[in-house]
Amino acid sequence: MTTHPDDYIKPELMACCGAREIRDNDVVIVGTGFPSMAANIAVHTHAPGAKMMQESGVFDSHPKRPALSVGDPCLNPGAAMIGGLVEVMGMFLQGGWVDVGFLSGSQVDKYGNINTTVIGDYNKPTSRLPGSGGANPIGALTKRTLIIAVHNSRTFAEKVDFITTPGYLDGPGSREKWGLPANTGPEVIITNKAVLRFDKDTKEACLASYHPDTTIDEVVKLTPWKLKVADDVHETEPPTAEELRVLREVLDPFRMIKIYEKRGYV
Amino acid sequence: MSKVMTTAEAVDKFVKNGDFLFIGGYIARPPFAAIHEIIRQKKKDLTITRSNAADDFDMLIGAGCVKRFISTFISLGLYGLARCYRRSIEHGIPHKIEIEEYTNLSLPMMLMAGALGMPFVPVKDMVGTDLMNVKSFIGEKKYKMIESPFDGSPVMVVPALNPDTAIIHVQQADEEGNAQMWGIGGDCRWGANAAKQVIVSCERIVTRETIGKDPSRTIVPSFKVAAVTEEPFGAHPGYSPGFYDVDFAMGYYYQQASNTEEGFKEFLDEWVYDVKDRKEYINHYIQKYGYEQFDKLRAEFDYSYPVSYTY
Repeated sequence: MTTHPDDYIKPELMACCGAREIRDNDVVIVGTGFPSMAANIAVHTHAPGAKMMQESGVFDSHPKRPALSVGDPCLNPGAAMIGGLVEVMGMFLQGGWVDVGFLSGSQVDKYGNINTTVIGDYNKPTSRLPGSGGANPIGALTKRTLIIAVHNSRTFAEKVDFITTPGYLDGPGSREKWGLPANTGPEVIITNKAVLRFDKDTKEACLASYHPDTTIDEVVKLTPWKLKVADDVHETEPPTAEELRVLREVLDPFRMIKIYEKRGYV
Repeated sequence: MSKVMTTAEAVDKFVKNGDFLFIGGYIARPPFAAIHEIIRQKKKDLTITRSNAADDFDMLIGAGCVKRFISTFISLGLYGLARCYRRSIEHGIPHKIEIEEYTNLSLPMMLMAGALGMPFVPVKDMVGTDLMNVKSFIGEKKYKMIESPFDGSPVMVVPALNPDTAIIHVQQADEEGNAQMWGIGGDCRWGANAAKQVIVSCERIVTRETIGKDPSRTIVPSFKVAAVTEEPFGAHPGYSPGFYDVDFAMGYYYQQASNTEEGFKEFLDEWVYDVKDRKEYINHYIQKYGYEQFDKLRAEFDYSYPVSYTY
């Protein structure tokens, strides 16, 4: 029988929500932190055949310490293949082989467009951010993009200041108009309050499930656009004992995941 | 013919004010010995590029060496936003650099096109986003939307890049410049081969015979190489696979220092201007932090099985 211990922290729940989006034998492009933990939970539970890669050029690495960047030295020894950006972003991602990608951003809007370029005016920025890096191609070309975000009116916007990474752009038909590959695009937004899923027709992020410590009303209030609620909305399933065991004993014995609490994932 | 020289000689001879430089690295193997030398020699008006830039690019920008940056991303990784870069863009300190923005797919492809002698290359990313709406010094030639000549579908093409000089740091090279690298590659192979000439900085110079024992590891052939410099520990505080780890403490120290203009200046004085070369830099590091700390960064060895190429 599945048990659900209640001593989990929010980032652990979010990592489990990410893990549950991954299917067996998926090819997953990951960064560090959450994405890598989520993908690894999946591999250790329901998706043993899922394979991970990092954009820097690494395929199927099993590092002995948590990687702190996608270029981390610990990703080198033991990987199945190491190339560079042209191999991973070109041959695998643009080649159409990547099933799942994880993204986060300073701003996310209801169509899953992401801003990691600039807050304010591009030419006179309030805050200049790092830029696209691998985010734009991951959002453009993976079959299912999973977006991680803090649920507040600073991160969420009706419209982002700058579209660095494409979600559904202006809505239905936009990705197709620009020639982005069929059957690609954002799948969910996983926040510290809820899981939002994209409506197949309107392409808007809608409330699919709310986490155990919140309510539909609270989530709707925290969302700066008129959040639609799915017909089958329900409470998010808390982490299972097995998911938590994998996370705490195998993947993250030093509980580095706690740093996400400081970043607002509470 | 041996091309071995000091980093100071290589930078003096092969990096001119106003040049377009590809600088390799991806936390793995940033050519820091050469970066510091460029700053010491006060090179100006450089255009610099690589995918996923980090502290080395931030330093060049803060030191005033850079005019233009063909960028995909720049941060201090674990330690957040790049400080000098932000001061340049947000406040014009020491001056506002110009940025042309691409992505970690399109820029490597542009370098690949340059290396292959192609005029331009189609890419499937960037379309539909604001990356199409911001154009800087490349202007209208940043990209073009065309109809595929084969099926009429919309296709974005981006121009090939051919930097004047590439500067890379690798594990080993011979005296003529055959350069061997292993581990995470980033866009190093394509950036180096796209350039008109290459400065190869390496952990160790080996014989031509050693190169020939495992020639599949060579990423740049000798005829493209202008200079070979031997710089052990030359990528610190980044890492070289099989030689030493990332120095996370130094990364944090740089972030703290570069938080303010004054702190950044003091950092440059201490680690760049007041040391003559990489040897003095390492000595300073050991004096300041102790040999034990230096030794802790060194990689353990876990050799691969030998391979054989004979018939």
